[in-house]
Amino acid sequence: MLIYILKRILIAVPLIFGVLTLTFFIIRLAPGDPAAFFIQPGISPNVAEQIRAQYGLNDPLPVQYVKWLANVLQGDFGRSFSRAQQPVFDVIAEALPITVTIAALTLVANFTFGILIGIVSAVRQNSFIDRFLTVSALFFYSMPEFWFALMMIILFALKYPLFPASGLNEIGAESFGPLGFVLDRFWHLVLPVTVLSINGAAGIARYVRGSMLEVIRQDYIRTARAKGLPENVVIFKHALRNALLPVVTLMGSSLPFIFSGALFIEVIFAFPGMGRVTVEAIFARDYPLIIANTFISGSLIVLGNLVSDVLYAVVDPRIKL
Amino acid sequence: MTEYRKILRSELRGGRSLPLPGLVLCLLLALSVLAMSGCNRSNGGAEHSAMGQAAMDSTLVIAMLGDADYLNPVLGSTVTSGNIMGLIYPSLLQTEFDTTTGLLNYMALEKKLREVASSQAKKTPRAAVARSWQMSADHKSITYTLRNDVFWNDGKRIVSGDFKFSYKLYGNPVIASARQQYLAELVGADKGRIDFDRAIETPDDTTLIFRFYKPVAEHLALYHTSLTPLPMHLWKDVKPEEFRHSPLNLEPLGAGPYKLKRWQQQQQMILVSSRNSNLPKPGTIPALAFRVVPDYTVRLTQLQTGAVDVVENIKPEDFTALMKANRQIDIKTVGLRAYDYVGWSNIDQEEYRRSGKVKPHPLFGSPKVRLALTLAIDRESIIDGYLKAYGVICNNDISPSLKWAYNNRITPHPMDPARASALLRAEGWLPGPDGILQKQGRKFSFVLYTNAGNARRNYASTIIQQNLRAIGIDCKLDVQESNVFFENLQERKLDAWMAGWSIGLEIDPLDVWGSDLKKSRFNFTGYVNSRIDQLCELAKQKMDPTGAKAYWQEYQEILHRDQPITFLYWIKETQGFSRRIEGEELNISGTFYNLDDWRLRPSAALTQ
Repeated sequence: MLIYILKRILIAVPLIFGVLTLTFFIIRLAPGDPAAFFIQPGISPNVAEQIRAQYGLNDPLPVQYVKWLANVLQGDFGRSFSRAQQPVFDVIAEALPITVTIAALTLVANFTFGILIGIVSAVRQNSFIDRFLTVSALFFYSMPEFWFALMMIILFALKYPLFPASGLNEIGAESFGPLGFVLDRFWHLVLPVTVLSINGAAGIARYVRGSMLEVIRQDYIRTARAKGLPENVVIFKHALRNALLPVVTLMGSSLPFIFSGALFIEVIFAFPGMGRVTVEAIFARDYPLIIANTFISGSLIVLGNLVSDVLYAVVDPRIKL
Repeated sequence: MTEYRKILRSELRGGRSLPLPGLVLCLLLALSVLAMSGCNRSNGGAEHSAMGQAAMDSTLVIAMLGDADYLNPVLGSTVTSGNIMGLIYPSLLQTEFDTTTGLLNYMALEKKLREVASSQAKKTPRAAVARSWQMSADHKSITYTLRNDVFWNDGKRIVSGDFKFSYKLYGNPVIASARQQYLAELVGADKGRIDFDRAIETPDDTTLIFRFYKPVAEHLALYHTSLTPLPMHLWKDVKPEEFRHSPLNLEPLGAGPYKLKRWQQQQQMILVSSRNSNLPKPGTIPALAFRVVPDYTVRLTQLQTGAVDVVENIKPEDFTALMKANRQIDIKTVGLRAYDYVGWSNIDQEEYRRSGKVKPHPLFGSPKVRLALTLAIDRESIIDGYLKAYGVICNNDISPSLKWAYNNRITPHPMDPARASALLRAEGWLPGPDGILQKQGRKFSFVLYTNAGNARRNYASTIIQQNLRAIGIDCKLDVQESNVFFENLQERKLDAWMAGWSIGLEIDPLDVWGSDLKKSRFNFTGYVNSRIDQLCELAKQKMDPTGAKAYWQEYQEILHRDQPITFLYWIKETQGFSRRIEGEELNISGTFYNLDDWRLRPSAALTQ
């Protein structure tokens, strides 16, 4: 398996590199100018030129590419154009913990509730509770996240002010002490994590239900029941393990989500996470930051797929890598 | 059925038989998060909320759309940066906008450019570092005498050398400050390189002399020489190429009524009253929190719940609901500084790009056609339907707030579709078989572009489309991403578009209307009228701005006649304020014009 993993990682290097090269050219060929902000009445026309010169945008594209390549090979992804020329990885390092916190909590809730609802729906197939859960899951699954978030804010921050509408902490949260600070942070995370997880759990529930229904009709389940095993052992030990195989792949593919952030939720709840960093970088034509973000999400997608495949082999002994 | 219930119960008891024990752990974690959050509101809630309340009573919270880019006056170029830097840094002069005349006034501690009626004077000159100034008789130099009792927050005195040092930074092409235009009259600027040794002299710590290569009007000299300084003793060793990313940018050292306590980028900025400040005094409210809340609905919700105290640019359609939901909110407006317009390309832009020749645009080249388009558009309807009391018909780009220059004699073109049709007929545009006007086989059909994400312009463009259709003009609508839209405008690729301008308080419109299309970067329409250039030039030569009144009046008449664009409406910016704020004076120069004088009523007083 180790050789397999190494092979996959080796293949990933040119793949990610190709993605970065493509991104490099696409963003530069797209309309828009990183110095556009400085083109306005009252600002000398020289400023935009000087800014472009600073960013090295006046060189021909191939020259820019070679320079960029030389820097990237040394691990230098450059400085952000739009965020006070901070090194791009510093910008990302600030945003990442916020995104990871939200995403990790969300994923836990997603899988927990998704699997639970999926199992209940499957074992009580066609019952009232199954139909109710199916309809509710579809209802929440098809609901746009940003709208749902706004409705939750209007309901739980405005009509019944139980939770804050935005931000990571209260004003003056530092004076609450370490525990108070953490509690305050959690209090701020309730609404966004709920929105994200209701939406995600609904999708996973559908997945688990389908997979579970397929498994409980298998001969070995009938055999397990026939030999007199209690129903919970049959469902959780024999059926669920097999039904969770496709769900395991979902875990792998959730990896990029953990690091790339949930844009709408970050904008609505005013969290300075990765989603906002990426989108603001695109609007500001902040080339180094866009490329660094692409590098991170590209690597994570590749890694996520690898993790999925490896997890497959781990949970299912029939699969050999 | 019973078996299934058992399964569920076992699941609820803790799911011992789950195949992935990690999941159980995760579930517990999630539950503990929820439990802790709940406990935060219930058990620990009282203590927490009391502390929070205390913090809120001494903190004014302002919601911002985006974060500041820099808190360095040489670099900061966003509105947010400007607002915050105004509270942190010292300024050579104090400015105030005189609403009776619409003129900007400049004040040093012991001198004013002009006397303002006492009811208008809201600003104290004590915030100025300059004690007085003297303009030379030939208007080619200005000498400031500085106070000797003003200090940076670290205790070092503010001296004339700080200003000279800062101007060198503003003028350094490697630093690329957006304010280098302010140095355009200094000695050497005409030759392309400012001679700082001669242009700015500092014979001693309290004398600061600026020299110009040509005579400069006093108000302009004051405007251009009063850029915010940086402390030289802190910045002198920072290399220009490292200036933009120096760590000092994150810890600004100022001397104003507030100082920066904490800056969590993209989240919030906390300023606290600077107890030792005498420029003019420590801020009255102990702490200011500028919080980034990118979503408009959330900003509005937070204003309603009292989580924030000030929200800028509230849309008129939300006023009623907002006031109904919370009676402790006021809507306030500032003067007229921003307008929307429909741009018509006056010249054949393709021909101009190809050969550099200026030829009339096949659709919009004639002033009569453009006048017909203005007459066809129901501007009152747009105002009534969207801006309501917060919009005023716009005739040209000199704001009615600039009373000294505004031409009252001009009456707005009324909506008159019959006259519009007659004008178009006289220009040879006749209805075709499909009802669309035609001339020499060309249909009067075009695309009206606007930028994405502006509800007001979307609303207006739909009405414009209907109005034009009524007189036989086919107007299609298209929305472009802002960057793309702006690039297309600059390259003069659009035939018709809807956009807006925000005007400066000193009138200088040559960038927008100058006849030299290569130099006038913002003359997107390609409007060429040499008299406009002359008038702008003549006005600049006047040493007293009011002396240029006649020129600006004629300028407005020409624009009204030629209709290079259809001016739509001036927008009164509307800001939401919590009523716990007292003493706020909104002004055309900004919502936070006298923020250091605002006071907060404690929350208890409000509930009573």
